[in-house]
Amino acid sequence: MALSLSRSAAIPRTAPLGVPRDRRRVTAQGAPWLFLAPIMAIFVVLYAIPLGQSLWFSFTDANGYTTDMHWIGLANYAAAFKDPEMVSALWFTLAYAAITTVAITCLAIPLAVVLNTRFPGRDVVRSVFFFPAVPSIAVLGMVWGFILNPLGSGVLNSALHAVVGIGPVPWLSDPHLAQISVIVVAVWAQTGWHAILYLAYLQSIPSDYYDAATIDGAGRVRMFRSITLPLLTPAITVSQLLLMTGGLKVYDLPFTLTHGGPGFATRTVTQSLIEQGVAQADIGKASALAVLFLLLVGAIILGQMTVSRRLEARYT
Amino acid sequence: MSLNQHESDTPRRAPARRRRVMALSTLAVATLALSACSSSSAGSTSSTSAGAAESTVSFFSWDTQATMQPVIDGFEKANPGIKVDFSYSPPVPQYVSTLQTRLRSGTAADVFIITAENKQNLMGQKLVKDLSTEPFMSNIAQAAKDTYTKDGATYGAAIASWGGGILYNKDLLAKAGITTEPKTWSEFLADGATLKAAGITPFLEPGDGVTVTLSALLGIKNQQLGGSMDADIWAKKQTFASTWTDTLTTWSQLFSSGMETRAAAGLTGDQVMAEFEKGNVAMIGTGSWALGTIKTAAPNLNVSFAAVPGTDGTLYWCGAVSPGYAINAKAQHPVAAEKFVEYLTSKAGVALYQKQTQSITTTADFTPTLDPALTEMATAVRAGQFYLPVVSWPTHSDVLGTEATAQMQQLIAGSSTPAKFAAALDAKLASAGS
Repeated sequence: MALSLSRSAAIPRTAPLGVPRDRRRVTAQGAPWLFLAPIMAIFVVLYAIPLGQSLWFSFTDANGYTTDMHWIGLANYAAAFKDPEMVSALWFTLAYAAITTVAITCLAIPLAVVLNTRFPGRDVVRSVFFFPAVPSIAVLGMVWGFILNPLGSGVLNSALHAVVGIGPVPWLSDPHLAQISVIVVAVWAQTGWHAILYLAYLQSIPSDYYDAATIDGAGRVRMFRSITLPLLTPAITVSQLLLMTGGLKVYDLPFTLTHGGPGFATRTVTQSLIEQGVAQADIGKASALAVLFLLLVGAIILGQMTVSRRLEARYT
Repeated sequence: MSLNQHESDTPRRAPARRRRVMALSTLAVATLALSACSSSSAGSTSSTSAGAAESTVSFFSWDTQATMQPVIDGFEKANPGIKVDFSYSPPVPQYVSTLQTRLRSGTAADVFIITAENKQNLMGQKLVKDLSTEPFMSNIAQAAKDTYTKDGATYGAAIASWGGGILYNKDLLAKAGITTEPKTWSEFLADGATLKAAGITPFLEPGDGVTVTLSALLGIKNQQLGGSMDADIWAKKQTFASTWTDTLTTWSQLFSSGMETRAAAGLTGDQVMAEFEKGNVAMIGTGSWALGTIKTAAPNLNVSFAAVPGTDGTLYWCGAVSPGYAINAKAQHPVAAEKFVEYLTSKAGVALYQKQTQSITTTADFTPTLDPALTEMATAVRAGQFYLPVVSWPTHSDVLGTEATAQMQQLIAGSSTPAKFAAALDAKLASAGS
């Protein structure tokens, strides 16, 4: 962005000669703002104003039905910490974000390395792994709900009974199994997309490095550890940032798969926010939760970015 | 960062110009924001502008236009000078959310739906008109009036109710040698054991909301307490612990006895219906709305609907008053709105609606034609003999309903107890503030 702004100083040189000098200068200086105006408008209308409103609502008893609201100080913030449902949602959300980020990274990098090698039908295999990223995650949730139906007639339970002879497994009915199921489906759905991301970075690594390492007698594992992994650190930063932010604000997959149950086992913070804000018309409390969650997510992402940048600086 | 870089490349007069440019940009942004707000409100109110006067009535429904069109046509035919401006949002969260936004921005329709999920806010903040003195309210059932009454004022005109009970696959029961429906809770459990011994899955209920059997058993308890169970809890004369624990203990026998699988904690209504349609289960807990779907999917099933049997032999139905019609307190066309609700609650309007939806209508001057399997239920429902906790709770029904469903799932899964369930509801009510 800085480069583009400084380059704009060159515009007067190409401006029509008949245009007065002052006007040309104003045009030159105003041009960047003209281009920035649409995105600024979008940012202000869709992000800054709602964010400011949420902050204001969090100190009030806003109910969503009228504009009549009263200042109640920090009462909504105090209530947020007392709600066991919210605490449960927070723990599952953090666990979901952390586990999916680690699991997908551990699976996507080796998968990308395999997909980067030459073998017959490589393009088809790449497409197959990328496919789960195409349909809406809500649709995937419904399909997996059908597969993981906890009754004996469920797709997976029928297969298990036919092949192994074991009884119906309560995939989505047991709290722990439901949590595991949601995370496994999330990993399945996103690994292919992130593998393609890593693949793009892998293809930018010059083959000279591998040729030199081969001459030096390095094996595949050594080349992966000493060349591939260090040069993938920028990709790891991008991928993990996307996974962590997506994981922390997740709503669609757990909701379509389990509706947050059984009990509060797979409830996420976003689901609680939506239910309190919309269904229960408690805009004030939902806004307080949103502000707290924003600060928490900000802190996590800042920490993650700091670590990633240090690793990038060290290995690249 | 970019600004600093720009500054270094420009003459000294640049900051003043930059301020002008920034001011213009800010003005443009503000204008855009304001125009966005004003255009949306203008768009919403254009159909109900003052020029249209009483020749239009706007109606926001959660029944689709296909369902409501015959009723709307009937109204427009009966009132040639008035056109209905119809809008729709599907139930429940989307409808509630859209109505909230429209009310807050002053663009809500003249007539809209009041329901269990929004009635406390609509009635408490007097966002809807008191209909208690309207002549057409004499046609509305007492249970329906009670549901939408607060402090002596009635804010909704509901024309139907729904019931829920146990749907039996009579052929599967006969296969296990059971010829009559159970009359007591013990007989119900005994039939379950008989079916299980015959290799038939006895009973299923979805765990995605407070179940039909639990609601009906709580209805029996409410009846034993003179119908004041919820009022007493809210008045702090009783607690959930003192009124619900026994009933929860009875109900949890479904799982401890093995009559119903603990997998029900993760089942949805559609999954349970699919099992019944395939003949995989002998009995399910469901509502009157399910019968049409099941008969369409499995026309050869030999079914019957019966009430839930209590421990003392009392038979009771789960059920609730359906959503009602409400008039916006700030309706732009109040006269036309009254005429529209009057038609919706009239014999002609109710007949057209019933034909479209097969609902159990409860208005005094019209008797609905229903599937024979619903006859017994309809009689009880029209007499107001049903109970559903979420609708009966005087306040915080959504907060408590979410908590009750979560606690029920934990009880089904075996990770909670009836006492913990009831205590959690007491704690939730205390934190929400009765």
